[in-house]
Amino acid sequence: MQIGVVDYGASNIFSVLRAVSHLGAKAKVISKQEDLKSIDKIILPGQGSMGACIENLKKKNLFEILKLSLSEKPYLGICLGLQVLFSLSEESIDSEGMNIFSGKVERFTENENLKIPHMGWNQVIFKKKHFVNKNIPNSSNFYFVHSYASKELKKDNILAETTHGELFNSAVIQDNIIGVQFHPEKSGAQGLKFLENFINWKI
Amino acid sequence: MALTARIIPCLDVRGGRVVKGINFKNIIDAGDPAEVAKRYDAEGADEICMLDIDASYQERSTTLTTVEAIANQVFIPFTVGGGIKKLQDIEVLLKSGADKVSINTSAILEPNLIQEASKEFGSQCIVVAIDAKKDGDAWSVYTHGGKNKTELNAIEWAKKVEGLGAGEILMTSMDKDGTKTGYDNDLNKKLTSHLRIPLIASGGAGQLSHLVDAIKIGNADAVLAASIFHYEEISIARVKEELMKNNISVRSNI
Repeated sequence: MQIGVVDYGASNIFSVLRAVSHLGAKAKVISKQEDLKSIDKIILPGQGSMGACIENLKKKNLFEILKLSLSEKPYLGICLGLQVLFSLSEESIDSEGMNIFSGKVERFTENENLKIPHMGWNQVIFKKKHFVNKNIPNSSNFYFVHSYASKELKKDNILAETTHGELFNSAVIQDNIIGVQFHPEKSGAQGLKFLENFINWKI
Repeated sequence: MALTARIIPCLDVRGGRVVKGINFKNIIDAGDPAEVAKRYDAEGADEICMLDIDASYQERSTTLTTVEAIANQVFIPFTVGGGIKKLQDIEVLLKSGADKVSINTSAILEPNLIQEASKEFGSQCIVVAIDAKKDGDAWSVYTHGGKNKTELNAIEWAKKVEGLGAGEILMTSMDKDGTKTGYDNDLNKKLTSHLRIPLIASGGAGQLSHLVDAIKIGNADAVLAASIFHYEEISIARVKEELMKNNISVRSNI
């Protein structure tokens, strides 16, 4: 089992690589098209803005091929890696996402008592039973760092919800494609369990 | 549900070992940093902070080896502070496994560093640490581990670095640090009423009620402590139990 971790040059991928290795799986950095060849599963971690992420993926000729591989390989998008699966983001309205989920990623609605970015540990309420949340108590806390989120989505695609001032989709799913807004690689034992489940997940 | 209050144990590290001492005197060896960090993680720490207490004298490579050893063992957010002077120091620490860096003296000597670092690496990984001491009705900022007094007012300085792109403030009360008489809730309350970014309260923890008060009265988003956890006077699990009793949400299901 070889897990490809996409490096588009503007994100800290080291903690994801460490967590995957810690779980006994082989991690390989994907920074160009050829790297994708012997890969069984793909993880796209991400930080920064969606526009920059898409631009960097395109620069490395990875955008189209990743989009293609979404039709066959198990995929886990983390944070911005979830957001690029949508059609667009309020943060970068000129950049078109991968359009797996139609709809947009929006900024949290400002209010006086709400801190943005949403940074810290918050409860993830799983709405579906799935292999990736096996043996994880529902409502466990996971670690988040983000200012934009998916708020509206078809019910079938919502894997988990979380509240920060308002309800948002903290995990999304379609067939072999999963996106999580939290950072499983930084969410302690429950986060490692989630990653381990993804590694062991058979489609 | 909202974000949980974070409990952050801090490791003082020198030459690759955890050390303890009072006011950096009579320093004793207190274990292997990765082992200690792992214990805190297992006890339910929400983040780990490592402070390289004499980074300016030691070789940086020892620090990086320690950071890497901790990052290979602990899968919760990990902040590293001490001796950060330029963008490259931050880059190297992040590559070695830190998720955030804490900048103190250099932020004052070179405020541009905050702006440049938050632009380059994102605000979420830039923590500005402030050492403050009460001075009449206000609090003054000190540099170099509390040795040098500056002209800066602590609250104004915190607001300034927020504007420059800091993602969090780590406020240490020099009046309270080491006294075990509780956090400086006056300072923290005043500070949080002016800030939109999270506040980590530091300095003064001695008993359970101090951590509760830091959150309830001081409005801190996170509480940092070293010695109470280090000497196992109070366990992290016990702190969380007490916070929950006081209706403060914490991360359970560790």
